[in-house]
Amino acid sequence: MSRAGALRSGLIALAIVALFLVPRISGNEYFLALGVSFATFAVLATGLNLVYGYTGLLSFAQVGFFGIGAYTAVLLVLERDWSVPAGALAGGTLAAAVGLVIGYSSLRLSRHAFAIVSLSFALLCMLVARDWVSLTRGAMGIPGLPTPTLSLPGVGAWRLARPADFYYLLLGFAVVAHALVYLVVTSRLGRAMRAVKLNEALAQSQGVNPLAYKLLTIGLSALLAGMVGGFFVFYLTIVDPSIFDFYYTETMLIMVIMGGPGSFWGVLLSAAVLSAVPDLLRFTTDLRMVLYGVALIAVMLIVPGGLGGWLERRRLARWRRPRAASS
Amino acid sequence: MDPSVLVQLLLNGIVIGVIYALVAMGLSLIFGVLEIVNFAHGEFYMLGAMLAYFLSTGWKIGYWPTIAMVTAVAVCLGFVLYEALLGSLQGEGFERSILLTLGLSMVLQNGAVYLFTTTPRMMLVGSTYSHVGVGDVRISVLRLFALALGIVAFAALYLILYRTRAGKAMRGVAQNRDAALMVGIDPRGVSRLAVAIGVGLSGLAGAALAPVYAVHPLMGAGFVFKAFAIIIIGGLGNISGAAIAAVALGVIESLVGGFLPLVLADALAFVSMIAILLLRPQGLFGRGVRV
Repeated sequence: MSRAGALRSGLIALAIVALFLVPRISGNEYFLALGVSFATFAVLATGLNLVYGYTGLLSFAQVGFFGIGAYTAVLLVLERDWSVPAGALAGGTLAAAVGLVIGYSSLRLSRHAFAIVSLSFALLCMLVARDWVSLTRGAMGIPGLPTPTLSLPGVGAWRLARPADFYYLLLGFAVVAHALVYLVVTSRLGRAMRAVKLNEALAQSQGVNPLAYKLLTIGLSALLAGMVGGFFVFYLTIVDPSIFDFYYTETMLIMVIMGGPGSFWGVLLSAAVLSAVPDLLRFTTDLRMVLYGVALIAVMLIVPGGLGGWLERRRLARWRRPRAASS
Repeated sequence: MDPSVLVQLLLNGIVIGVIYALVAMGLSLIFGVLEIVNFAHGEFYMLGAMLAYFLSTGWKIGYWPTIAMVTAVAVCLGFVLYEALLGSLQGEGFERSILLTLGLSMVLQNGAVYLFTTTPRMMLVGSTYSHVGVGDVRISVLRLFALALGIVAFAALYLILYRTRAGKAMRGVAQNRDAALMVGIDPRGVSRLAVAIGVGLSGLAGAALAPVYAVHPLMGAGFVFKAFAIIIIGGLGNISGAAIAAVALGVIESLVGGFLPLVLADALAFVSMIAILLLRPQGLFGRGVRV
């Protein structure tokens, strides 16, 4: 490993350790709540980045997967006495299966159709959650979810009673999810995905099957969104149809767009900033969404590549800059 | 089942279907000419309805002048929308156009919520409670007016598209952009006109339905998603296909809503869209995949 690489890995490890130490330093529940929100949105945003940023499929379906994971986990835990991680895993798996069906049926036509179908799918999820009363208890949802207890090998039972426990759980999952996505995007898989995004016909002529890679990314991002939904819902302690709210879609979309589609670190950074700043400034939700909309339009008109794209352009410009020949 | 109930449901369905058609045809026209899916389309429907409410309730302007003024304002908004935002996108990135118009929709919708709250308002005009009826079938005058407005708008759109040079140019660009450029059609002028007409139709639909249903800032969001489903069912960019699919959807929704649980009526548009994509991806009236 090069020195820069070693330095970078060291910094990342340090940052993760620092994040895990936050509850030890300050028990402030407000900061922990922001942390939980950051961890959740970071996973959602990186999943969307995988689909949109790397593979070029604009998906509005992520919130549907998130909610499917949440409902599945809750119902399995309450009705079948499953443990929370098993429920979340089942939720993620179901979300991935649904994602494959949606992707397969709409990608036969075009990316354009995929965008519109994914949107309708998310709306359909909300309608089903609201109206399939015998399963989901309708618009009132299922309130008062129990405090989950995880049995960890070697440690014993871990009761997630304090906000700090949820912070550890979701941060842990976010680290795992990001590691997985990082491995995917830096491997051959990631290169094939980018090839599909840049020029589908050319990728196909080089023996890359576009449909397979598109379905793979949809499935993986649905799995992550579903699992994080399954964990997050126990922190909310209620699941109702508002888990499918368009608010989640808009928030994760703005994180990806501002961070730069296809930029792993840019999206992570913008997820951190956008989870904390609007809340610290005490905006009401309406005003926040107006500002998000303005930001979305501004980014689209001025820097379509977002933060990541802007940094990349500057890096290229630096390389290209003429240098005085050393004499 | 009483036949008069059936006729009643059918009539209501046709009225709502015609209004769906106004919104969906505008969306389809914009898609056909600019290859842009306008996510903010429903917000112009909402703005049309809100403006109609304020004109008639706040300023006591009559029904017909209100409709005319709202349509004129909406057409102007369409020009502004094209010049300010969509014009800069020419030919690049379908996704960018979605994100740009989605941003606009967030601003308009949440801005309206911020200013006016989500409280539904009722627009009352002179003939709010008047009905006409034959036997047991009764229909409110305002629904009839909405139907008449829709039919006049259909006819006007048809005349523009098939009887004027500008309409011919629009159809030309929609069919083959490069060939249209080669014969000297100015794509900017054509696109500007298409967006103005599309947004104008959406505003007109809002104003026509404002006295029939309650007016509130979130009314556009649900409506535009249905319009997306309609243009996919009718074939992307196919305007008459969108109109037929819209009226059919209105009628079927009304009938389903009358006899079966309401849930099915809400989900109908999305479920039939997904079914169409699986069985006939070019849409019911498409002549082949051209997206």
